[in-house]
Amino acid sequence: MSEETIVEFNQISKFFGSVIALQEVTMHIKKGEIMCLLGDNGAGKSTLIKTLSGVHKPDKGEIIVEGKKIIFDSPRDALDMGIATVYQDLALVSLMSVTRNFFMGREPIKGFGPFKTFDIEKANSIAAEKMKQIGIDIRDVSQAVGTMSGGERQCLAISRAIYFGAKVLILDEPTSALGVHQASVVLKYIVKAASQGLGVILITHNVHHAYPVGNSFTILSRGRSMGTYSKQKLSREKLLNMMAGGEELDKLEVELKEIDRIGKKNN
Amino acid sequence: MSAKPQSIGEKSEDERLRKVSKLKVILNRPELGALGGSILVFIFFGIIAGDSGMFSAYGTINFLEVSANLGIIAIAAAMLMIGGEFDLSVGSMIGFAGICIAIPAIYWGWPLWSAIVFAFAIAVLVGYANGLLVVRTGLPSFIVTLAMLFILRGATLALTRLITGRTQVPGLRVLIDNDPIAWIFSADAFTGLFAWLGSLGLITLRQDGTPLAIGVPASVLWWIFLTILATWILMKTRYGNWIFASGGDKLGARNLGVPVTRVKISLFIGTAVAATIYACVQVLDVGSADTMRGFLKELEAIVAAVVGGCLLTGGYGSAIGAAFGALIFGTVSMGIYYTDVDTDWFKVFLGMMMLIAVIFNNFIRRRVTESK
Amino acid sequence: MRKIYLTVLAFLTWAMMSVAAFATDVIVVSHGQANDPFWSVAKNGVDSACKDMNITCKYTAPGTFDMVEMAKLIDNAVAQNPKGIVITLPDAAALGKSVKAAIAAGIPVISMNSGSDDYASLGISVHVGQTEFEAGVGGGQKMKAAGGKKALCVNHEVGNVALDRRCAGFKKGFGGSVDILGTSNDPTEIQKAVAAKLGAGYDTILTLGASLAGEPALAAIEAAGKLGKVRLGTFDMSPNMLKAAAAGKVEFLIDQQQYLQGYLPIVIFAQYMRWGTMPAGVVMTGPGFVTPDNASSVIKWAAQGYR
Repeated sequence: MSEETIVEFNQISKFFGSVIALQEVTMHIKKGEIMCLLGDNGAGKSTLIKTLSGVHKPDKGEIIVEGKKIIFDSPRDALDMGIATVYQDLALVSLMSVTRNFFMGREPIKGFGPFKTFDIEKANSIAAEKMKQIGIDIRDVSQAVGTMSGGERQCLAISRAIYFGAKVLILDEPTSALGVHQASVVLKYIVKAASQGLGVILITHNVHHAYPVGNSFTILSRGRSMGTYSKQKLSREKLLNMMAGGEELDKLEVELKEIDRIGKKNN
Repeated sequence: MSAKPQSIGEKSEDERLRKVSKLKVILNRPELGALGGSILVFIFFGIIAGDSGMFSAYGTINFLEVSANLGIIAIAAAMLMIGGEFDLSVGSMIGFAGICIAIPAIYWGWPLWSAIVFAFAIAVLVGYANGLLVVRTGLPSFIVTLAMLFILRGATLALTRLITGRTQVPGLRVLIDNDPIAWIFSADAFTGLFAWLGSLGLITLRQDGTPLAIGVPASVLWWIFLTILATWILMKTRYGNWIFASGGDKLGARNLGVPVTRVKISLFIGTAVAATIYACVQVLDVGSADTMRGFLKELEAIVAAVVGGCLLTGGYGSAIGAAFGALIFGTVSMGIYYTDVDTDWFKVFLGMMMLIAVIFNNFIRRRVTESK
Repeated sequence: MRKIYLTVLAFLTWAMMSVAAFATDVIVVSHGQANDPFWSVAKNGVDSACKDMNITCKYTAPGTFDMVEMAKLIDNAVAQNPKGIVITLPDAAALGKSVKAAIAAGIPVISMNSGSDDYASLGISVHVGQTEFEAGVGGGQKMKAAGGKKALCVNHEVGNVALDRRCAGFKKGFGGSVDILGTSNDPTEIQKAVAAKLGAGYDTILTLGASLAGEPALAAIEAAGKLGKVRLGTFDMSPNMLKAAAAGKVEFLIDQQQYLQGYLPIVIFAQYMRWGTMPAGVVMTGPGFVTPDNASSVIKWAAQGYR
C-alpha cells in the first residue's frame, strides 16, 4: 500500500437478501489515477460505487481511506471524507441558477445571528470564475442551469465536487447521454482534474471514451472482479473483447455470416 | 457553447446581447404571470364596476381584506410547494385554531392573550406532526395532510360539541379591548390618516363624521409583512436555497448535505402557523369561532400559489407571486358582487383566470430552462 | 403568445358587453342561496317587487352558509351606497358590526326571515318575517277550534331556540294539554317515536318541519289506521304534505310565506325613497295557513315559484 493510494476497497461483498450483488471485490485508487470501472448491465458497478459513496454498507470486507479503516453511515460521511459522487441525474435542479446549484448545501454566509444571509455576491463571483476555468461560456451565473447543455452540466457538477474538496471523484456514466463534442469536453476536464491529484473512478459502457482517458481498468462480471489491468498491458481490442465477452462476439459473427449466406442463396 | 477566444469584433455583439438578457431576466421571473393577471383584473373591474363603489376607500379595504386573509396562507402554501410538498389540512387548522382561541377564553376563563399563545403552540405541534409523518413514512404529503384534514375537522367539531354543546363560540369581541396581544391581529392602522382624508372629503363619512373606512386592517399589514419575510427567506438566505433544493431534487440535495428533513418539517410548521394567524384575524374580527371556518381554504391557497408561479412539482415559485395570486382571488371574489353578473359565474371566471396565469407561467418557465 | 392575448381580449370584450354597471337602489344580502327551493321563492318576491315598484334591486348571497362571507357582502353593499339594504339575520353577533356600519353610513337596513329577536338592538327599524312564538299560537288556536283536547308537539331539535318557541307558542294557543316529544332529526326515528305515542290518546299532533317530521308523522298515523281520529298540522311546506293537505289528510300547513319576505321590504324601501316613510316593528308574513280548502291553488303557485 503506497502513500499514493487514496482509497482501498478490500474483499467487499454486498448481499440483498438472497442476491449476491458483490462478491469479494478488491479495487485500489491512487492519486491522479483514472480507474475505469467496466462491465455489462447487472455486473454490480452501481452497487460498488454506492457502497463506496456511503449509500450501502458492505456486508463483508473493508474500506480504507488514506490508510484508515472507515465505515460510512451515510452519503454525508463519504462526502466529508472527500469521496464525491456525481450521479447520472447530477443533483442539479434545472430551474435554479448556476450559483445556487453550485453552492447547494454549502452556501457561503455573511452577517450574524438570525439575520445571516446567503452571500450571493460572493457565491456568484466564485461560480463565474469556476465556470471560466472549466471553459464554460456562461454570461450570467444567475441564469437557470436548464439553459446549459448536458456536457456543461456535467462539468458544473464535477467542478462543484472538486471545489468542495473531493479527493476521489466517482462519475457514473458521465458521457452516455452526450454527443461526441460534448463528451470530449467532459473527458478533457476529467483528465485535467486527475492531473491535479484527484483519483477518479469512471463508470462507462463506452470503450471509446474509457480507453483514451483511463489509466487502469477494472472489469466486473456478475458481482465479481475479473481483475484490474493497467493500460500498458491492455490493447483496445482486448479490452473490448473482455467487456463484451469475446466468445459471444465471435459466435455472433459466425451466425451473422450464416444468415447473410442464406440470404444470398435465396436471391 | 464552446470556449472560443473572443476577438474584438465579437465583444461588441456580446454587449448588445447583454442588454437583451436584462429584459429577459425580468420577463423570466415567476411572478410575472400573477402580476399581469392582477393588472388585467383591475382593468376589468375598473371598466365594468368603476363607479360602483368598489374602488372607494371602503370598498377597496373590503376586497383587500379578503386578499390579505388568503394571502397569509397562500404565502405559506407557496413556500411549502416550492419545498416540494402540499398541506391540505390548512383549512381544518383554521377551524381548529379558532376554537383553540375561543374555548379557553370563553369557557375556561383564560385571558385572551394566553389563549392566542396556546393556539400557536398547538399549531407548531400540528405542523410538526404533519412534517414528521410525511418525512418518516415517505408517503405523498397530499395523502398525509388529507388525513389530517379529516382528523382536525372532526376533532374541531367533536371537542366543541363536547365542551360547549354548540358549534359556535361567540362573545370574543368584548375581550379584545384590554388584551395586550389581541390588537396585533385586530387593530386598524393609520386611523389618523384616514380621519384626515375623511375630513378632506376624500373618504365617505358616516353620519357621525367619522370616515366609513377607518384604517388599514391588521390582516393587510400581516399579508405585506409575510410577503416581505417569505421573499427575504427564499431569496436571501441559505435556508431559502435549501427550500428550493428540497423541492427540486430531494435526494440530490440530501446527498449534498442539505438538511431536507428539517427544512420540510419547518415548512409544515409554517403552514400551520399561517393558518393560526388567519384564525386569529378572523375570530377577533367576527367575534366568534365556528367549527366550519376555513372550509376548503387550503385549495384556494394552492390556487393562489399556482397562479403566482409555483410549480406543483416543486423547486420553483415565488412568495410575491402567491401574494398577487391572492390579490387576484380576493378582487375577483368580491368584485363580482359589484356587478350584475350572477355569482355562479365567479367560479368560471376564476378558473379561466387560473388557466391563463398557469399557461403564461408555463411559457415563461420553458423559456427559462430551454437550452440556447 | 398571441393566441393568449386574443383569448383574453375576446373574453374581456364579451364580459364587458354582457355586464351593465348601473347603480342599484336596493341590495339584498341573504344567507339563502337562490338555488334553494325555499329561497328561490323569496328571490322571486324581490324580483317581482322591484318590477312592480320600478326600482333596481340585486339579490346576493354567499356560496355557502358562511357568516364571515356574508358580513363581507354587507360591507360590499355599503360600499356601493344603495338607497337601502335588506338582510337576513341568522347570526346577529357575526353580522352586527357590518350592519351597524351600514346604518352609521346612513343607509337604512331592513331585516327579513330571521333575527326577529335581534334586529332592534342593531338599529334596524323593521323586521319582515314570521315570529315563531306567534305562529305557534296561531296553530294552537286553530287546533283548539277544531276540537282538539290532548296534543303532542314533535320537536326534532330541542335546544334550537326557534323550534322551542314554536312548541311554546302552540301550547299557549291550544289551551289544553300539550306534551313535547323530543326526537332526533332522522325521519325514520321520528316515525317510530310518533307511532309509539299514538296509543296514548293524543288527538292532535304538531310537527315543526314538513318533509323532515311531518311526512313521517303522517305515515305513522296512516299505518296505525288513525287517519281522521288524529289531527296533524305542521310548520312549513313540502310537495308531499301539500298533496296530503289537498287530500284532506292534514289539518293545516303553516306557511311563513317567504315570497312576502322578499316582496314587502322592497315595497317599504320604494315608499321610503319617495316619501321618507318607514314602518316600525315586525311585519308578520305568517302564519299563513294552507288547509284542504286552498291547498290545490297553493300547489299550483308553488310549481310556479310563488309559494
